[in-house]
Amino acid sequence: MRGKWAALPGLLTIAATAALLSAYSGASSPQGRAPEQPIAFPHPQHAAGAMNMNCLYCHYTANKSPTAGIPAVATCMGCHIVIGAQLPEIQKLQTYAREQRPIPWVRVHNLPDYVQFPHMRHVNAGVECQQCHGPVQEMTTVYQAESLNMGWCVDCHIQYRARYDCAICHY
Amino acid sequence: MSKNSGPAGVKRREFLKILGASGAASATVGCGSGRVERLIPYLVSPDNTVPGVSSYYATTCRECSASCGVLAETRDGRVIKLEGNPEHPLNRGALCARGQAAVQGLYNPDRLRRPRVRRDGQLVDVSWEEALQLFSQRLGEYRGAGSLGNAVFVNNHDAGSLAAFIDQWLGAFGMPPALSWDAEADVAAIAAHRQAYGVAWPGFDFAAANLIISFGADFLDGWGAVVPQQLSFAEARARLAGAPRFVYVGARRSLTGLNADEWIPARPGSELAIVNAIRGSSSTREAAEASGVAVESLERLRRDLTSGAPSIVLAGGAGPNGAALVAAVAQLNQTAGNVGTTIRSDQAVAGYERTAPAAELLAAIERMRAGQVPLLMIRGANPVHGLPRALRVEEALANVPFKVSFSSYPDETTVLCDLILPDHHALESWGDAQARPGIVALQQPAMNPVFDTRATTDVLIAIAKADPSAASRYPMADYRSWLLQRFPGGAPAFAQALQSGIAAGSVAISDAPTRAVPAGPAPTPIDQASGDFYFVTYPSPTLGDGRGANKPWLQELPDPVSKICWQSWIEIHPTSARRLGVRHGDVLRVETSAGAVEAPAFVFLGIRQDTVAMPLGQGHTEYGRYAAGIGVNALDAMAVSTDARSGAAAWGVTRARVTPTGRSEPVVTTEGSARQHGRGIAQALLATELGLPPTAQTTDPGAAVEGELIRGAGPQEPPEEHAPSPPPGQPPTEFLPGLRAPVAADAEGDLTSQAAVETGMYDPKHWSGMANRRWAMTIDLARCTGCSACITACYAENNIPTVGAPHQTRHTPGVPRMAGGNILRGREMTWIRLERYFEGGVNADEDFETRFVPMLCQHCGNAPCEPVCPVYATYHAPDGLNVQVYNRCVGTRYCSNNCPYKVRYFNWFGYGEPDRPQYAFPEPLNWQLNPDVTVRAKGVMEKCTFCVQRIRESEHVARAEDRELRPDEFTVACAQACPSRAIVFGDAADGRWAVARQLGDERRYHVFEELNTYTAVVYLKKVNHPPADAPVGVPVPVGG
Repeated sequence: MRGKWAALPGLLTIAATAALLSAYSGASSPQGRAPEQPIAFPHPQHAAGAMNMNCLYCHYTANKSPTAGIPAVATCMGCHIVIGAQLPEIQKLQTYAREQRPIPWVRVHNLPDYVQFPHMRHVNAGVECQQCHGPVQEMTTVYQAESLNMGWCVDCHIQYRARYDCAICHY
Repeated sequence: MSKNSGPAGVKRREFLKILGASGAASATVGCGSGRVERLIPYLVSPDNTVPGVSSYYATTCRECSASCGVLAETRDGRVIKLEGNPEHPLNRGALCARGQAAVQGLYNPDRLRRPRVRRDGQLVDVSWEEALQLFSQRLGEYRGAGSLGNAVFVNNHDAGSLAAFIDQWLGAFGMPPALSWDAEADVAAIAAHRQAYGVAWPGFDFAAANLIISFGADFLDGWGAVVPQQLSFAEARARLAGAPRFVYVGARRSLTGLNADEWIPARPGSELAIVNAIRGSSSTREAAEASGVAVESLERLRRDLTSGAPSIVLAGGAGPNGAALVAAVAQLNQTAGNVGTTIRSDQAVAGYERTAPAAELLAAIERMRAGQVPLLMIRGANPVHGLPRALRVEEALANVPFKVSFSSYPDETTVLCDLILPDHHALESWGDAQARPGIVALQQPAMNPVFDTRATTDVLIAIAKADPSAASRYPMADYRSWLLQRFPGGAPAFAQALQSGIAAGSVAISDAPTRAVPAGPAPTPIDQASGDFYFVTYPSPTLGDGRGANKPWLQELPDPVSKICWQSWIEIHPTSARRLGVRHGDVLRVETSAGAVEAPAFVFLGIRQDTVAMPLGQGHTEYGRYAAGIGVNALDAMAVSTDARSGAAAWGVTRARVTPTGRSEPVVTTEGSARQHGRGIAQALLATELGLPPTAQTTDPGAAVEGELIRGAGPQEPPEEHAPSPPPGQPPTEFLPGLRAPVAADAEGDLTSQAAVETGMYDPKHWSGMANRRWAMTIDLARCTGCSACITACYAENNIPTVGAPHQTRHTPGVPRMAGGNILRGREMTWIRLERYFEGGVNADEDFETRFVPMLCQHCGNAPCEPVCPVYATYHAPDGLNVQVYNRCVGTRYCSNNCPYKVRYFNWFGYGEPDRPQYAFPEPLNWQLNPDVTVRAKGVMEKCTFCVQRIRESEHVARAEDRELRPDEFTVACAQACPSRAIVFGDAADGRWAVARQLGDERRYHVFEELNTYTAVVYLKKVNHPPADAPVGVPVPVGG
């Protein structure tokens, strides 16, 4: 009798291939991913506590454009030209501003290809930013709080009576 | 399942263990796939723009001299699409294929990125400071030598005040005025028009005419201002029964000729004889003899003209004695009382004023050859490619010591120059254009320059400022200030024009005095000795004189007549082809007294037996990766001659010897068959049949076997008769496009559960309300001219890759590595295509009819593609769209196989992957990509989406304003561009939309209705107007 594990290498190969394919297709969700950013931007200090800034102050197109928008370097410098100038992370920011270079933020929430997500429709319908992005105001390093998988989207769409036909998002 | 799996087998329990182990292994491999994607913010947010939302700039199209108004759609600082400006008097919101493709000129990867100067025979990059200093220095030297008076400035003709600006600048340096050259302009016709009507290019009101006669005037191909002419022509055709009959007289049927109801195949150069016979100044018998046309045809033409007032008679001046012909035709119009009714000088297209005749350019070239020209400046023109080779322009240029080019592209002329100061693209610079008399259009930059180029106007100002003697005349900072200063109405009008694109007033075309036309080479009567064929050349409707050849959209756009792309061809009549023993694709050699060209034969009914014809525009040796080395230049075999009266180029026709070479070349065509084989794809009826019950409409040879094959093909048959009973939860069926048949419900889920069907979004009572809309389209074949603007508009809107460029073609055994190789292998990619079918003409001596059908996804209510998809990647949305979900698609291509319309296209290669040779958007062409539409990856099927992104965008806007969609508040890209207004898109379920009204037309039909596909695209039959006494199919001699 041949070893019962004789098929293992074959199956392993198949599994590895499947895993690679699945990785290539982007089917697995990077939930929990918290990439390092060029500047360690602390959301809690801005969006909670004493400051308690509205998300739309920086992500100013979230209610009028498909993209939420990220603040221009000049927007940061509006305050940080004075505030916190001695802090190392702020000095990084000031270097970017001085050298007239945009900050190469790393995208945390990345939808797969072929999906269209109009931010303004959700924001204007009263969906809280935190519902998809998690408690960003408490995140020292922003991580992907939700899976952003399709089932997760559709659950919400059905619950809140939003259209869930494929061609609403996929085109 | 056997419990005993044998000695070598694995028990179920163990199998699961192993699976678990390998699963764990795979889990460790599977993580961390994410590529790092960067979010790049602005440094400073620009005012008045919202990232992700388009802004529009009203500006002017500069692709031809007509200068239509466009709206440049910009997203995040980049122009992504051009749309016609609805307020512009010329194009009224429409835009041709060439206008659409202007963005590919802007983002052309082969554009010159900075100034270049010739050092030791090589062109090398230099800085602007260095380049300008060199230019100034040379100007100073030549002025010191007193030779600046002999300098030559050749400017690509401009319809605005640029000519005046350049002439002023030249004057400040003591140089003669510039030569305003447009290789596409019919200067012979312009001269004759000026004499007869007082304007260079009158407005043609086809809709006011009862008869249209064209003597080789290809007013839909590129003869004059195509878009306004096509708008008017389509208006005329939309009068259906009352539409003017259109007779085309010429040796070959151009796109314009194919749109004619009757073709009189006259010998090239004999048009004047026919016109004289019609005018009564010579006998029809003589004219018939000269033209090879039956006497009866000419008699009928004369009768029609006297009875058909008001009419419109046009003539093209490309042949010998062009101006005389156009003048004779103008007299015909005068006598018939057409001037003022159908020929309107008050609606003139002002863009063609003051185009220089060819004789002037030829004289300048002779002076260069003689070494009399110290300095040549050339902006936008390309005489090395655009003039006959017999002229040997390169040799003449070699005798000019210093040549400056302002071209932004490395064209044949520019690469021979000593200093290149690349100009901005029109979408990056300021300018103006006289649209119509009394209406000025503004050209404004729609984005920051893509490369380190500078507007030639600003360069000239900078040079003048650096010159002590000229500086005082140039106090203005830049060309914008110069324009503003003389803009009619001043700053307020200028500010207004920034918004609407137009303003009332006139800009002086040029202050320079009119120069006498120098005598060019005499117009030789067509040399009868040098061959038994006439050789005719014509500007390509897509590439023009060749300036469109570096834009892949235009290269890939099949010629409206031949359906060939990425290639040159020689049109030859079937009978002549048989006589020579050549078939479609056999390479022919055309030899004239001036030279020879070789190209594959395109066997074409629409050409005389004694004529071969070839389009211009190809055969570039430079001009970038999309143009160089593709096809041959027909002008290589053209002798140089000019029209005696106007000095216009007269190299449209000559005599030639035509011989087969024995070689054969694959023909890159997107056409399967030129015949319908009784399938009733393109249907038509006679004008006399309008309003008759369908049973009486029997004359349509294109319709399938009447009554049998096509159920309900007759427009007035009550549709209920064939409609199946409505599925549960559906409204009763009417003649609504895209209605779902019961079987289609299968694909949506469990039909056994009634609740599942009724509570879905397909239920009109569902809260989403999606099923209450039914997106649909009508295409009026009476209006469609086959111009193909819709195709390029679709490419622009939907990120459709071009697949035929030489570098995209890999070598495959049996297929030569040539441009269009992917298309040869059936891998073309186009969501909408224009099918062109011939009817009649089975015998060589018979006139024939042409039908154009834009063919796109029909968004069937009962789609054959849907049930065959194993992964449900394609399905029918509740609002009537046939949706392709790219994420689900695994590329089985079953859907394409099962599609009766063959409108699904497969991504064979990674056209969107920069590291592949098939990459379709080399930087910066990818800047044009529409961010609202994904670029499809390798291995997925794609097709027309009814511009779903535009539907969604409009829904977003409506939602933000808390309202319902307004009827016709948006439309799809093809319908928006269509210069015939043939395509109407909208919600068929809402009677307030235009499309719903159109669906009641008696001419409506579905293609392949017998397949029960319930298409959402409804065609309206073409209407034919055969001569009263000679219906379609009557023999017309085409022989020599």
